[in-house]
Amino acid sequence: MDELGKSVGGAWTRRRFFEQLMAVGGVSLAMAGMDALGFGFASAQTAPPPLPGGAKNTKVIILGAGLAGLTSAFELRKAGYTVQILEARSFAGGRVQAARKGFEDTDLAGNKQVCDFDEGQYINIGPWRIPYHHQSTLHYVKQFGVPVELFNNDNDAAYVYFEKGKGPLAGKPIRKGQIAADARGYTAELMAKVASKGDLDAALSPTDRQLFVDYLVGEGRLQRKDLSYTGTDGRGFDVLPGAGVSPGPGRESAPYAFADVMSSRAWQVLSSVAGWEQQRTMLEPVGGMDMIPKGFVKALPPATITYNALVDRIQQNAKGVKVSYTDAAGKAAEVSGDYIICTIPLSVLKNIRMDVSKPFLAAMANVAYAPVNKIGLQMKTRFWEEKHHIYGGHIYTDIPGVGTISLPSTNWHGQKGVLLGYYSFGGEAAKISALPPEERAKFAVMHGQKIFPEYAENFETSFSKCWHLDPHNLGGWAEWSDEGRKSAYPVLCEPDGRIYLSGEHLSYLTGWQAGAIESAWQQIAKLHARVQQA
Amino acid sequence: MLKFVAAAVLAAGGPAVAQAQPVGQALYNDNCAACHQRTGLGLKGAFPALAGDKLALGPVPAAATVLLMGRGGMPAFRNELNDAELAAILTYIRTNWGNKGAVVTSAQVAAVRARATATPKPRGLQAH
Repeated sequence: MDELGKSVGGAWTRRRFFEQLMAVGGVSLAMAGMDALGFGFASAQTAPPPLPGGAKNTKVIILGAGLAGLTSAFELRKAGYTVQILEARSFAGGRVQAARKGFEDTDLAGNKQVCDFDEGQYINIGPWRIPYHHQSTLHYVKQFGVPVELFNNDNDAAYVYFEKGKGPLAGKPIRKGQIAADARGYTAELMAKVASKGDLDAALSPTDRQLFVDYLVGEGRLQRKDLSYTGTDGRGFDVLPGAGVSPGPGRESAPYAFADVMSSRAWQVLSSVAGWEQQRTMLEPVGGMDMIPKGFVKALPPATITYNALVDRIQQNAKGVKVSYTDAAGKAAEVSGDYIICTIPLSVLKNIRMDVSKPFLAAMANVAYAPVNKIGLQMKTRFWEEKHHIYGGHIYTDIPGVGTISLPSTNWHGQKGVLLGYYSFGGEAAKISALPPEERAKFAVMHGQKIFPEYAENFETSFSKCWHLDPHNLGGWAEWSDEGRKSAYPVLCEPDGRIYLSGEHLSYLTGWQAGAIESAWQQIAKLHARVQQA
Repeated sequence: MLKFVAAAVLAAGGPAVAQAQPVGQALYNDNCAACHQRTGLGLKGAFPALAGDKLALGPVPAAATVLLMGRGGMPAFRNELNDAELAAILTYIRTNWGNKGAVVTSAQVAAVRARATATPKPRGLQAH
């Protein structure tokens, strides 16, 4: 820890100033202090930290060319650092991958796939949507001029398919908007009738009572005269309105019976508001999520990234760091520098020998990685658009191993399309991943057929990904327990000597690109502050 | 000596083992083999081997807890599989690939399930 040694000498260094602030007012005061000095923690979620003052001939070795590694390299290089990335794969992006024609993948079980989608077709097998509030991701989308389009994350016309419910609606595809209209309509009716009779008066003043009933009439689309729910045009028509006298006004659909709606359990897809991470608006890059890492790669000198480099050993001492790796030719190689930013997933990193303290090693063992499956199915027609009038969005199911079927938000009205045949986690995902790729596709098609009669006859070819079977990830994303967040997480967020960890796993946005980017921003700011103080 | 022990275990397990074997194997292949492999050898550095594994062969409550509640990267199976199925899987693991552990009964798994009070957060419909 020579950095500390240098700064402890009685001189009023910046480092000592920060340490004093920490001692007096904790981390927040220290951060406020750093903010005032231009280290920019306050803007940590929307823009990269400013890194003023020069890099003092410092070389940073970055392990992994996913978004955390690319972000670190891009920002540190701008600030004057020498950076070198070691990347295990033959391409950059980490989990940000799109499978398109010719894309290859071999998993730990030895299943080799070569994607044979038609030209122009693809599936995002890693991250696939960007919430509007992930301004860190959008910062680079803007910076690199990556064209984006809307990702339809909520479609009233999409089906809900719940097999495990009861009654006539169980095991039947139902439009989400119909379930929403009926569940909320009947609930509003019940509430409105009770409230109007004065049965809620303990909770409502007379003025509030009238306002509440007015609200419920609007919320549930109730009949004003008797506060009943009898359906609404929003849930759709049996005969669509149109020209002339026939179809003329059309005929509105009749609501499902209250008991049927409740026992179907299809209302599980409804909430008063979407979870923060799932809110509209969502965006996606045109042509595949890997347009984002491609933007970074273009902005870096080609020699920055050493591909096909498998890290074997990570060493550090008071003077610097050294990383030994196996290169593309299978030969042992090494690289030295002053600091390391290590973005290797903890699931993989814990199998690599690394000079860090015992508490740090113990903390790394404290996180789990999620088994996650995705499959892209190329369909020869876009029957979901043509026959069902569903333009993007998700088919929610309770079929184990399928979870969500999602329809593409790109290439509308094209000849063909690739849909997401399943998106599943945990034990369900582990189970399906034991199947060879063609069996996984059969499984997906068999279940999709329950929802769309055109499914099987349109299926052409598939590409599946099981993230827990990827040797460079061993899981989709980090899953912290509450206990792990308390004990292990804070330890790993701080450097161990000259080694800084970074990635989605060191954020509260686990599994999101924004988590990787913001973690990188935080770590490079810390590293830079240290270099400035040295 | 080894042969003798194996014969004794088999005799003790007797018909229960023989009966549970095909069911346990099918359930294991279906639910566990993607990671731990059909060989029980796991994948080095990624998924632990169950052949010779101390936890799998140790006291039933600890082993059953892992299956019910999950551990590390391993998912929980308490909602996917019932006590008899979990017992069949545990028995299969403990009596194959050279493992010489005792048979596990549904009652043993049920007892562990009854004591397992921790209920992790329900997963949403989607993630990421």
